[in-house]
Amino acid sequence: MADLRINLAGIESPNPFWLASAPPTNSGYQVQRAFEAGWGGAVWKTLGDPILNVSSRFAAVSFNGQKVAGFNNIELITDRPLEVNLKEIYETKKKFPNHAIIASLMVEPKQEKWHEIVKKVEAIGVDGLELNFGCPHGMAERGMGAASGQVPELVEKQTYWVKEVAKTPVIVKLTPNITDITVTAEAAVNGGADAISMINTINSLAGVDIHSWDTIPHVGGKGAHGGYCGPAVKPIALHMVGDCARNPRINIPISGIGGISNWQNAVEYMLMGATGVQVCTAAMHHGFRIVEDMIDGLNNYLDEKGIASAMDIVGKSVRKYSDWGDLDLNYKIVAQINNDVCINCNKCHIACEDTSHQCIDMLMDEHGNNILRVREEDCVGCNLCSIVCPVDGAIDMVEMPSGLPVMTWNERQAALGAVSCSVDPISK
Amino acid sequence: MSDYQTFLQERDQIDYFTQKGYRIKNITENLSGAFVEFERESKESKEFNKETLHILTADGRKYFSVVLINQQKEGA
Ligand SMILES: Cc1cc2nc3c(=O)[nH]c(=O)nc-3n(C[C@H](O)[C@H](O)[C@H](O)COP(=O)(O)O)c2cc1C
Ligand code: SF4
Ligand code: SF4
Repeated sequence: MADLRINLAGIESPNPFWLASAPPTNSGYQVQRAFEAGWGGAVWKTLGDPILNVSSRFAAVSFNGQKVAGFNNIELITDRPLEVNLKEIYETKKKFPNHAIIASLMVEPKQEKWHEIVKKVEAIGVDGLELNFGCPHGMAERGMGAASGQVPELVEKQTYWVKEVAKTPVIVKLTPNITDITVTAEAAVNGGADAISMINTINSLAGVDIHSWDTIPHVGGKGAHGGYCGPAVKPIALHMVGDCARNPRINIPISGIGGISNWQNAVEYMLMGATGVQVCTAAMHHGFRIVEDMIDGLNNYLDEKGIASAMDIVGKSVRKYSDWGDLDLNYKIVAQINNDVCINCNKCHIACEDTSHQCIDMLMDEHGNNILRVREEDCVGCNLCSIVCPVDGAIDMVEMPSGLPVMTWNERQAALGAVSCSVDPISK
Repeated sequence: MSDYQTFLQERDQIDYFTQKGYRIKNITENLSGAFVEFERESKESKEFNKETLHILTADGRKYFSVVLINQQKEGA
């Protein structure tokens, strides 16, 4: 049995699986049930001045029968008074002293407001604070959430104010609704953050009803933009985590959030630099008990690999996440079709013929059977055919030694730059 | 002609010049591809022979870059 415990900037939890600040962590009843189910930590539904919500709050995007490929919400932070939440946090912490409870906070960008809430929340005993600079709707219109999280100076200043009084570790939760998340991550570091978490939800409109012409969701015929999360956002979030993890100026732990649905997703985030993960949509879709598979899966994975502790995989893929200019231009892969596995649906041929490099030939073998063959010299190794192929193992992408040495774009440009400088000696 | 056939021709031409003792002297890359200028000092006349190749394929552009890097390494 591997050691699944994590320590994120001083916050300890029995495993890396935390519930993100959202409806699953709305109340003591829920968080306690979650801890009983096996979740290692919970970031409480964001605390602040209690808000008013609208009815009809969520919408999901289904894709080809897959429910909740993406999830959209227009819900705000907690609508319950601070004292009610604090009482339940206190009771929950008393029952589960070894589980991590992090209070998510959002107030107006004013020093005294931050000081007030930090002191009140820490007085009842939490393991850490998460500053919600990410909610993209509703709160932003009041100068909070994403509105303050998009301005690096405000991120830095608010983090600093919190750090002036905080006694527990401070995690800054970043908004993805920004071009380069490392800028706000660095601002959090400069403000003294102990860790960062990402991502909050992405600005979105889930859809338009083509019959009523209403937005989805709509509130009595009117809609407003919401925040997008769930499996669809995972690649975006994973990139942001990786970008922060490989930035030498962002040298604090990362809590990874966005579309995590199973232990494999969690491992990906941890390999890409996250010390632990937070989950919202998957728990809302399938319930708290999904954590059982996550714990078992992670444990088996680590045991099979002979890795003693979950912390040992953190960041192991970061150095492999590089810049395009540092990739080897002479690395070559080609598609190879296994005709004994192929069911001759021709999807790969159509994909390559219509939208790639026209190099999958439809041929006939000596027994008169239809077969497909890749003209390897024309294949650019784009992967499209193997992506669209419905049969596992029918297309292998195989390495094809180019016979040429490693040459990156940056190296090539440096060489070209050098030659253009050494101009023709005769023309001088 | 397929891109690959074009590339093979380009590679042969690049190899031909380098085997004949030409060195890449200048490269101009623009919307039309790459123009690679080769140069060789003639043993007899001490004059410079010049040749230019217009490289069209992506693989050809990778190939002459490798040749250039090797040339710079040898020169270093
Ligand atoms: C209905 C809903 C409400 C949310 N409320 C909050 C919130 O109050 N505070 C917060 O920091 N994030 C909130 N989030 C964002 C989540 O914590 C999380 O960052 C996001 O959903 C991405 O994770 P996921 O893909 O696992 O859902 C909310 C998300 C949803 C779906
Ligand atoms: S990898 Fe791309 S180019 Fe090669 S055969 Fe498949 S679709 Fe065509
Ligand atoms: S897509 Fe896959 S199964 Fe279909 S023809 Fe191509 S290799 Fe065969």
